[in-house]
This record gives sequence, structure tokens and C-alpha cells, in this order.
Amino acid sequence: MGLVTPLGIGRKAFASNLFSGVGGIRPIEGFDTTPFKSHLAGEVRHFSPMDFISARTLRRMDRLSQMVTASACMALDDAGIDPDGSKRNRIGIAMGTAFGATDVATQFAGTLFTEGPRRVNPILVPNTVMNAPAGHAAIELGLRGINTTVNHREASAETAIAYAANQIRQGRADVLLAGGGDILSPFFFTVLERFKALSPQDCSKEAARPFDRRRNGPVAGEGTGLLCLESLESARSRGATIYCEIVGWGLSGAPAPTNDWPDDPAGPMLAMQKAMAMAGVRPADIDTVSAAASGGIKSDRLEARALELIFNGDRQPAVTAIKGALGEAFASGGMRAAAMALSIHDDIVPPTLGLTSPILSLGVVNSALRKMKVTYGLVNACASGGTFATLIFGKMVPPESIF
Amino acid sequence: MKSDRVVVTGRGTVNAIAKNVEEFSTALKAGICGIGPVTLFDTTDYRTHTGAQVRDFDPRQHIPKNYALKRMSRSDCMAMAATLEALSEAGLTPFPGELTADTGVVIGGGAGGMLECEPVFAAYLETGADRLPGTPFAAFSCASSADHIATHLKLMGPKTTFMTACSSGATAIGYAADLIRQKAAQVVICGGTEPLSRITYSAFNALQAVDPDYCKPFDRDRQGLTLGEGAGILILESLGHALKRRAKIFGEVLGCGISCDANHMTAPDPDAAGAVSAMTAALNDAGISPEEVDYINAHGTATPANDRMEARGIKTVFGSRALRIPVSSTKSMIGHTLGAAGAIEAVACMLAIEHCFIPPTIHHEAPDEACNLDLVPGVARKATVDRVLSNSFAFGGNNTALVFGRFSEDGGAR
Repeated sequence: MGLVTPLGIGRKAFASNLFSGVGGIRPIEGFDTTPFKSHLAGEVRHFSPMDFISARTLRRMDRLSQMVTASACMALDDAGIDPDGSKRNRIGIAMGTAFGATDVATQFAGTLFTEGPRRVNPILVPNTVMNAPAGHAAIELGLRGINTTVNHREASAETAIAYAANQIRQGRADVLLAGGGDILSPFFFTVLERFKALSPQDCSKEAARPFDRRRNGPVAGEGTGLLCLESLESARSRGATIYCEIVGWGLSGAPAPTNDWPDDPAGPMLAMQKAMAMAGVRPADIDTVSAAASGGIKSDRLEARALELIFNGDRQPAVTAIKGALGEAFASGGMRAAAMALSIHDDIVPPTLGLTSPILSLGVVNSALRKMKVTYGLVNACASGGTFATLIFGKMVPPESIF
Repeated sequence: MKSDRVVVTGRGTVNAIAKNVEEFSTALKAGICGIGPVTLFDTTDYRTHTGAQVRDFDPRQHIPKNYALKRMSRSDCMAMAATLEALSEAGLTPFPGELTADTGVVIGGGAGGMLECEPVFAAYLETGADRLPGTPFAAFSCASSADHIATHLKLMGPKTTFMTACSSGATAIGYAADLIRQKAAQVVICGGTEPLSRITYSAFNALQAVDPDYCKPFDRDRQGLTLGEGAGILILESLGHALKRRAKIFGEVLGCGISCDANHMTAPDPDAAGAVSAMTAALNDAGISPEEVDYINAHGTATPANDRMEARGIKTVFGSRALRIPVSSTKSMIGHTLGAAGAIEAVACMLAIEHCFIPPTIHHEAPDEACNLDLVPGVARKATVDRVLSNSFAFGGNNTALVFGRFSEDGGAR
């Protein structure tokens, strides 16, 4: 896995902070928030792209492309894969982003609307498209296999992972780096803030409080995460460390008001049911759930209801919502899937920061990490507009223990 | 023969030469040019002034009164119009309630609601953030087209949006077929939609990739592309489901191949390695050999670099047969519709199969030795078309190739 997150750069820093309950949400340093009601975010800090990317390509890249390319480098390195000549036609990227390089888009449009179309900078053009990060990463690493970008709000990265897993099952690629990310930029933050998408949506204190009675909207975040996916045979043949197996996924939708959430929990339930059916597991088999909950008033209630209706038996999963530590990073599924892979590999569940008074009747891991056996973990994505994706990861059984 | 076959049971389009499939078929056969002055916004200060704009598009003529247009962009409206036409052709109007859980939506996007958001952004630059009107931003994301379609039809199946610039529409169709093969859905509404916008128009102008008059694909004097807009939608269905409900089958999605140039963000790889790899992967996925292809719907943007690269790629994949397969660029008529291109071209391919004709490459007059393919210049040609390859190449080096086939019960052995 490769990570550029508010909790640190790379797997070790991310894991160390996530599992010890150190949050990444702090006062924004990247731009002036004086005119706004919201002043906090999960910002990526101390990211030094030169550590990962050659000077030749770095100067052509926007910030999101740098973060994605660095994540791709780290993911291949972590997996021990050297994308040399013979293999690179079968190695690719499936990236998810909800908004893309909003910094470049506003810079480009800024020139267009203040100085006119003859003054716009052609160098910016390639980076205004959503697929720029995956394109830059492919150029930097020479990856000529499947390359695609999913652009569907908060479900982008989980959908990209489901897409990639299917491509590998179909034999169309050997290795795919899958996940996603988004960045914060001043205009994008302005839009979120002006349309009251962020905490505080009331007069109380600004904070990310997933599943909490006092929640008052999400805190914005940013970050990228990519997982290195490959077929089991390929991983075993080269003796790779396997974090976990992708055993199922489910995608669903539901009628919803524009950019808003449905009231009926049937949509998120259907995604979880489809994923469990593909994985061949029952709700009682799921040990932990990484919820999409961010502190959003309607979205957390929707997911809480769906979880309560799915996990209504005697054995219930330990639920965690790590957007309490990361903020709402939109295409956050790469980071959250990486966290789940670590949970399964290391048998620990990270805490939900910001939660004291839960609206959810299931057990939520709060205040400190929980050590517990994690055989199956479920990752949820809930997107405004009524789009849902669920991934299920399972513990890899060592080959000798099958007999 | 594949047991998990995916068939096309409905088609819809809105583009510069047609507002429905029947008009599109007529216009393709007649070689109509949809390129003219852009009137959606003022082009005075731009290098060029032409585009393949959809004229006199009234969303209300396509979308029923019970669905509010207020929060929909032009892009969303074109996608919805094409969807409703495709569903009607598929015999799924009104949409059957028992299918909602098993029906997905996969759309290839482009500029999304950019056209509507541009004036708001301009106002923000002038007066600051205090009075940003909210409505245009509701439809800003190109994900909103799929959301509106799913909400209007009350769908609960898989829903997603791809944004790989000029190959979005083709990638969406490829993934929609995968969803049916995975049994994640029985029916998938798929395709792409793209509006003209100032941002896109100025971007391609800045890259000097636009022909000031009209695009001339594969022509010696070609100077660049002409931007277009529109939407193309296919209804894909598992063969079993289509047969069970006795749907009319227009063709079959046989394969999809995706690759990356990993060479340059905007310029195609002159060696055509990425294009060759996508075309080869699509033919392999379809389980057919290059000899079985009757027609290639080219990416054919009319930029000097693309057309040279694509001709080279076709020659590499098809060898000596390359010069005998008809290859045409429908972008000569409808412009380059970016995120919608692969999808509108898929509709053109389905029409070519159904009505046994090869759409022409219009404005192609002076042959270019580097592109000496059978380019079907000027006028359409009658021909039996059983197998089609459709290319889409994009910024970021994102290449997607699709293979479509005529439907026959036995899987089309011939």
C-alpha cells in the first residue's frame, strides 16, 4: 500500500498514528480561513514529492498527481514489485477521485475569466482532467496496463478497487494499483463552506464526530491511498507479504434528492448484502466494519440504520469510523481500505475519534484501538446523490493450514 | 461461445446532427456535417469559433414534466434524453418496477455541469464568495447525470461514473458489460455525455489542437479537431434476460480492451504501442481475430498526431489487411464529443450493423500517405457489417477499444 494522508506519509506513519488514536484534523494552514465559519481540516503535511518522483516529471504535475504518483511508488515498493520492461504492459492503475485537481481547475478558469482565453496557460490543461493523476503516475512508473479513473463522489475509490479486483479476476491485468484520493483547495473549500456541507452546521463547536448525537457536519479532509492488488497465484509465486484478500464487493444506488441522501436505508443495505453474497459470508461472520460515517447529519443516520438492520443477530461486528481522524476526504476509500487491510493483517481495529454519544446501537470502537481477531472486515462507501459501495476483505489463510 | 453474453437492446443519442437514433441513422448515411458557429457562449476572444453544437435542444421535449430540470445541467439533460429514448426502444417504458434492483447506470463523463458553473465562478472572482448561487453547483459533478437517471427511474443497481477524458464513454460501456457478466446487474444503462463549455473550448484552443474551420480526419491538410457535444446511451442486457422478455436485440458487446501509453499526458505515443495494446486486448476479449473485423470506427480526431498514430496502430494490428478494412471517423460529422465520443460512436456502430452501411469520413479530400487506409471519404457505403472495432484514445494516455457484433443465437460463428 502507498499513502499520503493527514496521518502521515507511507504505511508506517499512517498505521502508527491511526491505531494509536492520533487524529489528523487541525487548523488549516494551506490557506486563509478567516472569512469562513469552518477552520479545521485533515490536511496533508510534510509531503515532499521529491522523495518519490523524478525532477523531470515532477514539474509537470499538480499536487493531487504528485500525491497519487508518490502513493503508487510506495505501493509498488511495499509490494516488492519492480515494474520492468516485460511486466509493465500488465501493470496498471484504477484510481478514484471525486473532484480531481480543483486547484488547477480554478487557476485555469481564473485566468480565463479575468484575462481572457488567449492568456490561459496550455501547460495547465492536461492537469484539469480527472484522469491526470493516474496518467502522470503511469508515465512516472512506465505502467502500460489498464488505466482508468472513476469519478463518482464519495464512492469513487471503493468503486475503483472493485473495478480493479474484477479486472484481475478476468485475467486482464497482473497487478493493479487501486484506490484514490482528493485534495483541498481554497475555492473548493469555499464552495463546501458556503453550501453548509461542513461542520459546524449549527452554533456548536467545529469537530468531526462520526455517529455522535452532537455531530454537526463533516470536517473536510484530503489524502490519497493506493493498494497493490494482484492475483493470489502471482503473489504466492513471488513470496509476497499478503495483507488480506478481497473476497467480495457490492455496488448499489438509491433514488435521492440531488446531491443529498435518501431516507430509506435500502440502498446501503443492498451494497452490503451483495458484497456478502459474493464473499459467501453471513453478517455474523463480519468481525469489523469501517463505516463511511463522517459526522454528516443525514448520511450518518442513514448508514447507522442500514448497519443496524443488517447486523441484527447475536454476533455483531466492531464498528469504526476513521473519518473522525482523517476528515471527509471524498474519494477516501484508498486510505480506508488500506486501514482495513492492516486491521486484518495485524488483528487490531482503529478507534473512532470524536465519538462520545453514539446514535448506533452496534458496538463502536472509540477512544482506543481494539485488539481482536479480524477474519472478515467490511468497508462502506456512501455518496451523496444515493450511491453505495461495499468492499469485504478477508484474512489470508496460509497455504499449509488448508490441509 | 461465451455463456455470459451481453446484448444491446436499446440506443439513444443527442448530438449535432440528430436528436434521436432514427435521425442519426439518416444523417450518418447522408454524411451530414454538424459543425458550425458556436452560439452557446461568446467566442469573440477565442482563436476559433466553430463547434459541433447541439442546436435547439429543448430538454422538455425529451424529459417528462414530473421530473424537475432545475438542478440538471445541459450535460445531464442530454444524457437523460438519450436514456429515455434508449429505454423506449428497449421496450422498458414505463420502467418496470421489478427491474429496478437489477438495473445499473454507468456513465462516462466530461465537463459535467461546467457550462452552468462558469458564470458563477466568474462572479466569485469579481465579488467574492458571499453571494454564490447554489443551484448551478448542484449539477457540477459529472456524477450527477448517473444520479439523475437512477433517481428518475428509481434504480437500485450499481451506479458509477468514469472520467478518463476522451475515452470515458467507451470505458463506461466496457465496465457495464463487465457488471452484467459478473451478474451484478441484468440491465445496465451506459454511455457518455459531454457539453460544450468555455473551459473546454479555451483548453483545446490553448493547446492549438483545434481546426479553425472544421476537422478533416486523416486528411493531409488536417489542422486539428472540432469540439462537439452530445450524449450516447446503450441499454445492455444479459442475453438470457433479453431473450426471456423477447426484447429486440440490436447487437452484442463482444469485448473491451484498455491500456495506457505511459508516454505523454496529451500527445499520443508516435509508436502507437498503447493503441495497439488496447485494440489487441479488445479483440482477445471478444475472442475474434483481426480477420473478422468488418469496420473500424476510428478515434480519428483530425489532429496531425492522433491520425498518424492511429493509422500506424491499425496497420500493426491488422497487418496487410489494414488497407482493405473500411475505417471512418464519425467525428467529421459530430465533432469530438470528448467524454461522450466513445458512446455516441458506439451508437453509430450499432446502426452500421443494423442497417448494413459504413458511415463516411466527410471533409476528407487530400490523402495523407501516412494514413493511407480505406477511409470511406465523403459518402456512406453499403456493406454487411458483422464485427466492428471502435477506438477511443484520451489525455493521460488512456486508450479504450470496444468490439461490437451482429447478434445471432449461435454466437455468430461464420
